[in-house]
Amino acid sequence: MKPRASGWMFAAPYLTLFTAFVIGPLLFGFALSLFRWELLSNVKPTFVGFENYVEAFRDPYVHQALGATLRFVWMAVPATILLALMIATGLNAVAGKRQGFWRAAIYVPHLLTVSVAGILWRWFYNKEFGILNALLRPIGIEIPWLSDVAWAMPAIVLMTLWWTLGGPSVVLLSGLQNIPVSYLEAASLDGATPVQRYFRIILPLMRPVLLFVTVMHVIGGFQVFGQVYMITRGGPELSTRSLVQYIYETAFNNYRMGYAAALSWILFAVIALFTLVQFRLMREERS
Amino acid sequence: MNKKSLRLFSAEVAKGVGSLFFVIPCLLRVLAAFKPDSEIVKFQGILPKQWTIANFQEVLGNPEEIPLLRWLLNSVIISISTATLVLTVSSLAAWSMARLRLPGKPVVYGVVLATLMVPGQILLVPIYLLLNTLGWLDTPLALIVPAAGGAFGVFMLHQFFLGIPKDLEEAAALDGCSRLSTFMNVIVPLSRAPMATLFIFTFVGSWNDFLGPLVFLDSLERYTLPVGIALFQTSYFTEYGLTLAASLLCTLPTFIAFMIFQRQIISGMAASGMKE
Amino acid sequence: MMTPRRAVLTALGGLIAAPGLLSGCSSNVIGGRKQTTIRFWNGFTGPDGRTMLGLVRKFNEENPDVHVVMQRMDWGTFYNKLFVAGLGGRAPECFVLHTRAMLRFALAGFATPLDTFVASENGLPEADFEPGVWDATTYKSEHFGIPLDVHAMGMYTNRALLKEVDWNPDTPPVNTAEFIDVCKRVRKLPKQESERYGFVFTNLETNGYTLIRQFAGNVFSPDMQTCILNSPENQNGLMFGRSLIDDALVPSPENFDAWIGFRQGRVAMAFEGIYMLADLQRQKDLDYGGAPVPQFGNTKAVWADSHNLCMRRGLDAPTAAATWRFMRFLSNNSLDWALGGQIPTRVSQLESPEFAKMEVQAQFAKQVKIVKYHPKVPFIFEYLTEFTLAVEKILRGREKAPTALKTAEDNINRIIERQRKQGVSGGDQA
Repeated sequence: MKPRASGWMFAAPYLTLFTAFVIGPLLFGFALSLFRWELLSNVKPTFVGFENYVEAFRDPYVHQALGATLRFVWMAVPATILLALMIATGLNAVAGKRQGFWRAAIYVPHLLTVSVAGILWRWFYNKEFGILNALLRPIGIEIPWLSDVAWAMPAIVLMTLWWTLGGPSVVLLSGLQNIPVSYLEAASLDGATPVQRYFRIILPLMRPVLLFVTVMHVIGGFQVFGQVYMITRGGPELSTRSLVQYIYETAFNNYRMGYAAALSWILFAVIALFTLVQFRLMREERS
Repeated sequence: MNKKSLRLFSAEVAKGVGSLFFVIPCLLRVLAAFKPDSEIVKFQGILPKQWTIANFQEVLGNPEEIPLLRWLLNSVIISISTATLVLTVSSLAAWSMARLRLPGKPVVYGVVLATLMVPGQILLVPIYLLLNTLGWLDTPLALIVPAAGGAFGVFMLHQFFLGIPKDLEEAAALDGCSRLSTFMNVIVPLSRAPMATLFIFTFVGSWNDFLGPLVFLDSLERYTLPVGIALFQTSYFTEYGLTLAASLLCTLPTFIAFMIFQRQIISGMAASGMKE
Repeated sequence: MMTPRRAVLTALGGLIAAPGLLSGCSSNVIGGRKQTTIRFWNGFTGPDGRTMLGLVRKFNEENPDVHVVMQRMDWGTFYNKLFVAGLGGRAPECFVLHTRAMLRFALAGFATPLDTFVASENGLPEADFEPGVWDATTYKSEHFGIPLDVHAMGMYTNRALLKEVDWNPDTPPVNTAEFIDVCKRVRKLPKQESERYGFVFTNLETNGYTLIRQFAGNVFSPDMQTCILNSPENQNGLMFGRSLIDDALVPSPENFDAWIGFRQGRVAMAFEGIYMLADLQRQKDLDYGGAPVPQFGNTKAVWADSHNLCMRRGLDAPTAAATWRFMRFLSNNSLDWALGGQIPTRVSQLESPEFAKMEVQAQFAKQVKIVKYHPKVPFIFEYLTEFTLAVEKILRGREKAPTALKTAEDNINRIIERQRKQGVSGGDQA
């Protein structure tokens, strides 16, 4: 097909909406980040250049929030990918209609809204009065799930796995099912064991899907907010307050719009950095 | 371990993990909705000691203050409209970017991809101001239209379209098909599975969206379910029984719809010949 | 090629236009007269919200020319939403603010002073308001809200558990010695499957604030220019709290939901706001009571806040008059509101026989003269974050009181400095 500008017509509806509701607001946000705009002062928004960014680099709560966010990504993303791959492999082996049932079962938690899922797990996690410790107590274990700095983040990760594992499992499952049967048959004829087949043929073929899922989850992980807000509100001692929560509070509770906008762009830069590194790593491995 | 037993083993493991980790919490939740508040607060066993439907009666019995069915209807309308709109505009855009040779395409696609990394919360205030100018606040449009600017659908379908052999389209073009009919007759049937997946993801995302409806909607009768259900949770305590009953009633239709949809996806996959 | 998109949009349009489905009510015409619509937003979710909805319905019936539409959401999100709406110029005509949040909305220009309405012919008797509560709504000698209630902290007691440890439930502890005595007695009870306690810390912010004020502490210097959180008084108050945990009388605080322990009947005493009463009223199998918080330090003090009715700035005269009529109605009928678990602010209502009949409310109301609000500072959220963080560290034993309070004090002073540079004026001492 010849390159023709009219081809853009297909993309026009999307690009219009994209410009209006993503690019526009984004540029607005960037402009905002160069201003001091605090609704509590009578002073009109003033242009301050990169002062908000300088303040952010010195702000200990930014460091803390970034640390909490990185801990979440570090714990949640590898676990999600590994478990989703295991579940997808297992589901792929379940035959016929029952596969549909189990696939739905795994996806069901995600049909709960974050507020309900959050209430549910807070109720499970309560140290003195919750179900999890009620079940663990007979074997002599009592875990301070949400009140201990060391346990709170793992507890949030566990809940997140329960809540979100269905999505990547379904995507990886459809990836597995897209692998042409002929490849596998050829491998079997060559005398490959099932384990060899899995690691030498299936996994390499799954790489594009795995990359897609990993990238999406790293991005999503950096944006973690809803479940943390519902379960711990960022506690104990602010140890689970993520960057997005800090941005949200800076804008909506402290009314510091310019500063919040600058923090958003810093988060954006961090995510972009990690995503680029992932793409680069994957590309090198391929070549 | 031979091939068959390995398959069986992994299937059993999947089922075991599935039931323990996923099904049991859901089951606990379903059963708890039939308990009086005192039993929910003080765990006395998995089954209710005293079965009650009082929670459901209270939630359903007061449609003026708790218009639950209205919220359900709103949620269904908004989620389906959002998913349809996203699917339509994203698939057209993804296809044109994956296939058509367009001037400046890499730059545009790069920008679209980059916005995947933008946390949605930070666009809230600018979008609010924009919707206010458009006069869309407190209407379903405020939730449906901005969602279609998202980059996820374009990214996902773009990746998939790249994998479709070009010769199929070229054959259709030689047959004199217009671009649109090539898209409708060749691409869409081939992409049923990823399109269904995108539809479901968007549907669920919209269904669960809390911040959007909270900020963009004002009237009780225009609420969606997540915002409505949140009314049972105060800043200080939660009305567990009512929350659980209401959320159970609301998950049920999506669960059923999802079970039906499941089959569609599987048959869609089979029909598209993706399994070779 | 526009067909699919157009089809979708047409379908959408059809859905949206479907009669009655999503139609709203803006301004209707009844009996030839135009009806004024007043949007009323608040954070009264749960049972509170249903009580308020009843009052709104009553007002709408009595005032056919005004139509009040109430919207409620939990307080955290309420404030965010109100703020965004204010930015977009869509703030509701009438909204509820906590006393501690009022300054922010006054400074941001969202709320209007109400003094001319109060003094007008259809006003409200200023002298009938409890003075401490009424004064707390001022900023620069103007009143920005009509206090609907005062939700003081009080002591909830589990009467059955008190009886079990041979303590008369009608005379709950009033001082440190009696309080510790009860805690010790509960700890000596034979072990059950899970622990029982005389007391638990539920809300760290309000419990901590009550302690420092009872030990004669405060957060800011009288001119509000300096944070003095790391004072010996504040240290003593919070170290007392920690000593209860050190002596194993009280469990280390949970972040959330320790209140559930009280509901389960495994805690004899808890200090919580009067708003928790609604939660207990649903609990049929718990024999609970209310009492003033015991006095631990040398000063009588207890944390409180109020819900205030506020009006948006810049309303036209007829709308403002209708809004005021609604606010006045709620204030005059706040006894009905109290029934759901609140203390009214009008002296006439506090002294009424109907209120005396509300057992727990009347007990909590005994403290109305000694209530302490959080200081009125524009950076209230940042201040509360620092304060609560310090209380949390001290009670958990993660840091000594002087260390934790010093960190918080330094951080708050930095915020004050930042605000000063940016032209935000200080606050008012509560």
